Amino acid sequence: MFWRMVRGAFFRQKGKMFMIAFTIALGASLATAMLNVMLDVGDKVNQELKTYGANINVVPKEASLLDDLYGVEKDSGVSDQYLKEAELGNIKTIFWAFNIVDFTPYFDTKVKLISGDSEVKLVGTWFNHHLELPTGESLDTGMKNMKNWWEVSGDWLTDQDENSAMVGSLVSGRNNIKAGDVITIEFQGKTKELTVKGIFNAGSDEDEAIYVPLQVAQKLAEHEGLVSSVEVSALTTPDNELSRRAAQNPDGLSIKEWETWYCTAYVSSISYQIQEVITDSVAKPIRQVAESEGAILEKTQLLMLLITILSLVGSALGISNLVTASVMERSREFGLLKAIGAHNSPVSWLVLTEILVTAVVGGTAGYFAGLGFAQIIGQSVFGSAIDIKPMVIPLVAVLVFLVTLAGSIPSIRLLLSLRPAEVLHGR
Amino acid sequence: MAGDPMKKQTMYFRMVTSSLIRRRSRMLVALLAVAIGATVLSGLVTIYYDIPRQMGQEFRSYGANLIFIPSGDGSALSMDAADAAADFIPADDIVGMAPYRYETVKINEQPFMAAGTDMEEVKKTSPYWFVSGEWPENDGSVLVGQEVADYIRLSPGDTFTVTGTDIKDESFSRDFIVSGIVQTGGTEEGFIFLSLSDLEGLMGNEGELDVVECSISASQTVLDDIVKQITENVEGVTPRLVKRVTQSEGTVLTKLQALVYLVTVIVLLLTMICVATTMMAVVAERRKEIGLKKALGAANKSIVMEFLGECLFLGGLGGLLGVVLGFVFAQTISVNVFSRSISFQPLLIPVTLAVSIAITALACLLPVRSATDVDPAIVLRGE
Repeated sequence: MFWRMVRGAFFRQKGKMFMIAFTIALGASLATAMLNVMLDVGDKVNQELKTYGANINVVPKEASLLDDLYGVEKDSGVSDQYLKEAELGNIKTIFWAFNIVDFTPYFDTKVKLISGDSEVKLVGTWFNHHLELPTGESLDTGMKNMKNWWEVSGDWLTDQDENSAMVGSLVSGRNNIKAGDVITIEFQGKTKELTVKGIFNAGSDEDEAIYVPLQVAQKLAEHEGLVSSVEVSALTTPDNELSRRAAQNPDGLSIKEWETWYCTAYVSSISYQIQEVITDSVAKPIRQVAESEGAILEKTQLLMLLITILSLVGSALGISNLVTASVMERSREFGLLKAIGAHNSPVSWLVLTEILVTAVVGGTAGYFAGLGFAQIIGQSVFGSAIDIKPMVIPLVAVLVFLVTLAGSIPSIRLLLSLRPAEVLHGR
Repeated sequence: MAGDPMKKQTMYFRMVTSSLIRRRSRMLVALLAVAIGATVLSGLVTIYYDIPRQMGQEFRSYGANLIFIPSGDGSALSMDAADAAADFIPADDIVGMAPYRYETVKINEQPFMAAGTDMEEVKKTSPYWFVSGEWPENDGSVLVGQEVADYIRLSPGDTFTVTGTDIKDESFSRDFIVSGIVQTGGTEEGFIFLSLSDLEGLMGNEGELDVVECSISASQTVLDDIVKQITENVEGVTPRLVKRVTQSEGTVLTKLQALVYLVTVIVLLLTMICVATTMMAVVAERRKEIGLKKALGAANKSIVMEFLGECLFLGGLGGLLGVVLGFVFAQTISVNVFSRSISFQPLLIPVTLAVSIAITALACLLPVRSATDVDPAIVLRGE
């Protein structure tokens, strides 16, 4: 009898029940979309912030001061320190290998430009290097991904262009070099001709240099297999108190703290792990990038969290409001049921069951619609899919359940407290 | 019934108000629904408009986005030219402006690079510097880069002697106290930072700079414009945008704004539909009332007018509530997330009011229409 009444209610008031289900579906889809987007926004924004370039700089121990401080030329006989090119693949084998987005080695040297500047910085690097890793995987990495703010007139180099170069805007401006020109460089008596494939404007020191593929610079300086520094772009977690202490002295941590630190993607722990796999290296976080990323990431997440809360509250109030409205509307039915002798509890159960069944239907439909909305946001803003987090399902389920109950119970109690005769009379 | 217009109007108001008062609880439900919608609308739109400004401020933690360097071949930048150039930047947008002068000095007969600057400004242009120890507060105390500190074994509180030759080739020697060690991960770690006046004192001349770093809270187009104006109007200064910072900031900010925009649109759409369904439920209940009125001879038009009057009231009141609550909400978010207060958008008041009245009216009219179109007898019989 109970179920027949429930079924009857559905068939008799198809339109109304549909409207409730529709509203619940809207609320649930909003909650699903916002929760999914919020949980994924950190990763997505982190990926976007990679446009700021590398956040870790790997240099040989001891050697870092020479060039910047003394203006001492490399190869002038003092303690030249280099990293081994063969070890670079190891960067992709560390604990947080998955978080390493890109890395590029640099080999710096100074050359003379025939018919021009007496001394120019020549940088050998990877442009789009294909690397086979010891783990059997392969990887494409290089400058082209990492310096995407460079304005290049002409073309980017590829690693195979052994007789071409890219010239910084300041060097080209001073020496009147255009894309397509042929320049001659001299290093310790040896000369080499290079075709200028592109002129770039980087808006920084890099504009003062000539870039060539790594092997070209190494061969010229007779330092095959060696690199002067490596820039690494990694996805990191914002710093906290633990990571700051660890950055100062990793040995000062307790074993448990050390494990937590090592197994979290802090910029300091990733740097530490890189030092472990590259012989005689120092990996330094570039604070300008690392620090700011953390700040912006935190703000964005907090912002999304608060917007999510607003929309959750909004949809919760919306649903419970509608449920209240639709229960109140049925005062006459309640009066009639009570007048023919129904007790309070079966009447409440009847209405609650009806509404909860509607909620389940609406909630399920809403969940899938919400996934759709989340993907629309992901695709149009970040150009990639939003990860679907299973934990959203129980959250939305609990939300819909509680909100429907909260919307129906007070109004049911209110109606039950009325006297049947009065309700039926229409007052 | 065909009394004078005054009476008719009084009657109209009486009907609207009594309908609102008699049906208090239902009207409260409807009002709440409208207010929620309006709150979400005004709150989200306020945030949407304020995001670029607020986030732009955050992005200044990436440091300088515009630098002044000397024009021509390596000559120094004069303080006057730098000041003249700074006049082209709107004062409100300047987060910080740090002048730098670089000179080679000697410590223990080894050459090091010393940078004279304004520490207070550096704190603003380079908030990412990590200083262990203290920032220098008075003359004679300096910041030392991590690499220099490691190399000559200095720690905060130590004293060291700087020697060198000034511009007239006379040698100088002065003691400085290390107040802090600076870590940046960049070339700054190889420098010694002292106040500009100290360095000028050592070198024996004033008003010469090598570079001025500016951190400006403005969009890419505004920055481009500033660069153009300075290039055209100021002699001896070459303004250059720090591409990595400006370009990337543009990209990320656009993405963030697009995100908030889409979220706002979706949330608004869904909330408005929610509001509409609630209103429809509240009005649909009154089919009998409409039937009765029609049976008593009311014209369709006057019934619609009566409902519209109620909607105007509900939408207006709900909208007003929403404007206030929405602003409170946006303010809470802004204070919590960015620790800054949000700017109020006066234009939002009429927009929120208009939208909430329009949605309420639309949601009312649909069920009212269907009720007025039907024969009153059928409506009254309950079919």
